[in-house]
Amino acid sequence: MDATTVIAVICSVVVFAGWLVLPHSPATVKPAVVVSEEREPARVSA
Amino acid sequence: MKIDSGDTAWVLASAALVMLMTPALGFFYGGLVRRKNVLSTIMHSFFILCLISVQWVLWGYSLAFGPDKFHIIGGLEWIGLNNVGFTPNPDYAPTIPHQAFMVFQMMFAVITPALISGAFAERQRFKAFVLFSLLWATFVYDPIAHWVWGAGGWLHQLGALDFAGGTVVHISSGVSALVAALVLGRRIGFGKQKVEPHDATMTVLGAALLWFGWFGFNAGSALGAGALATSAFVVTNTATAMAALTWMTVSWWHKKQPSVIGAAAGAVAGLVAITPASGFVNVMGAIVIGFGAGVVCYLAIQLRERIHVDDALDVWAVHGIGGTWGALATGLFATVAINSTAANGLFYGNPKQVLIQLLAIGAAWGWAIVGTFIILKVVNLFVPLRVHEDEEILGLDLSQHGEPAYASINAN
Repeated sequence: MDATTVIAVICSVVVFAGWLVLPHSPATVKPAVVVSEEREPARVSA
Repeated sequence: MKIDSGDTAWVLASAALVMLMTPALGFFYGGLVRRKNVLSTIMHSFFILCLISVQWVLWGYSLAFGPDKFHIIGGLEWIGLNNVGFTPNPDYAPTIPHQAFMVFQMMFAVITPALISGAFAERQRFKAFVLFSLLWATFVYDPIAHWVWGAGGWLHQLGALDFAGGTVVHISSGVSALVAALVLGRRIGFGKQKVEPHDATMTVLGAALLWFGWFGFNAGSALGAGALATSAFVVTNTATAMAALTWMTVSWWHKKQPSVIGAAAGAVAGLVAITPASGFVNVMGAIVIGFGAGVVCYLAIQLRERIHVDDALDVWAVHGIGGTWGALATGLFATVAINSTAANGLFYGNPKQVLIQLLAIGAAWGWAIVGTFIILKVVNLFVPLRVHEDEEILGLDLSQHGEPAYASINAN
């Protein structure tokens, strides 16, 4: 196994193992901003 | 020289893939700005596709790839595609028509100034943008492209490795973006009011299309349909995925939530970083490059925020720093087992390659900083770089183009 492979394995382990200690859910929940979904048809010239 | 139909088909298809990246960039950037500026942001990319397409055939290709003059610029012998026909050019691509190589390179020249537009989004006057883009493509991009890729270019002769544009495309644009952000100054309200992306879905779609087009960017740079193109394709996808995973993990740890826009930005950072290395590294090298891109580009954004530079869409952090990391990593992980015409990097017994890569990085940073600063100051003599304050508050879609992006939604 060459040095590049060793470093690549370490990088992958850091990322994958990192998920075990990350938060399960958001720390704070912001209320969603509701915007009207109603749209008037755009006027187009013929 | 005999034209290879397979190679020609792949390079032409790749040119089309890279062409798609510029409007994709428009959507990536367009989603990140406020809704009053989305059309103007998309227009930057769309307009540059038109502008540089014409500049390139008139004089850009000749300056970048024409017969060498003093190892720093191409001559004017190929202006208007004079002497650029269908016979292959052995200096660049011996198995495809010369014009196929030319049009493939055109798409690189197109997307590079479009990348910069993210730095001055939401405040630059359109007319100033037009002049800046034309001058920048001519005096910054074309010379750097000649140094690195042109037959006789001084960095090319020194042995600098840049398979698909980490130095030529991403360092040049990312560093220029930082200069542009500093010269133009901050947007009104920067740091006082939070600027939220107006459409994250548009940004993710843009990132996905960039990822798709990037296969043409990197695998197409093999200039043939064979093993090297396949390797470039595989390492491009691997590094991109690894960078997105890494960025998302780092931001999840830092901000306590896995950001969707972060995953998209991480993917783009990975694409940037693997670009110079894509024809020289194996898949393990790609994983390290992707990991590094996710970490260093994320940290660069934190630094940019801390020093209050309004590089609106983080072009410097993603392209400037990502491209720098990729160019340096090429000097670390390149191996002749992948590309026998290149050189080994530090990890394969050739520490000198790192020094050559650092020289190329320094030259690109220096030329981009000086060239961009001068061009901006010259343009400002004729056209103010920024819109008026009331135009900026109204939004560039209405003030510059007279068109709202969304007909009935309040423009904010």
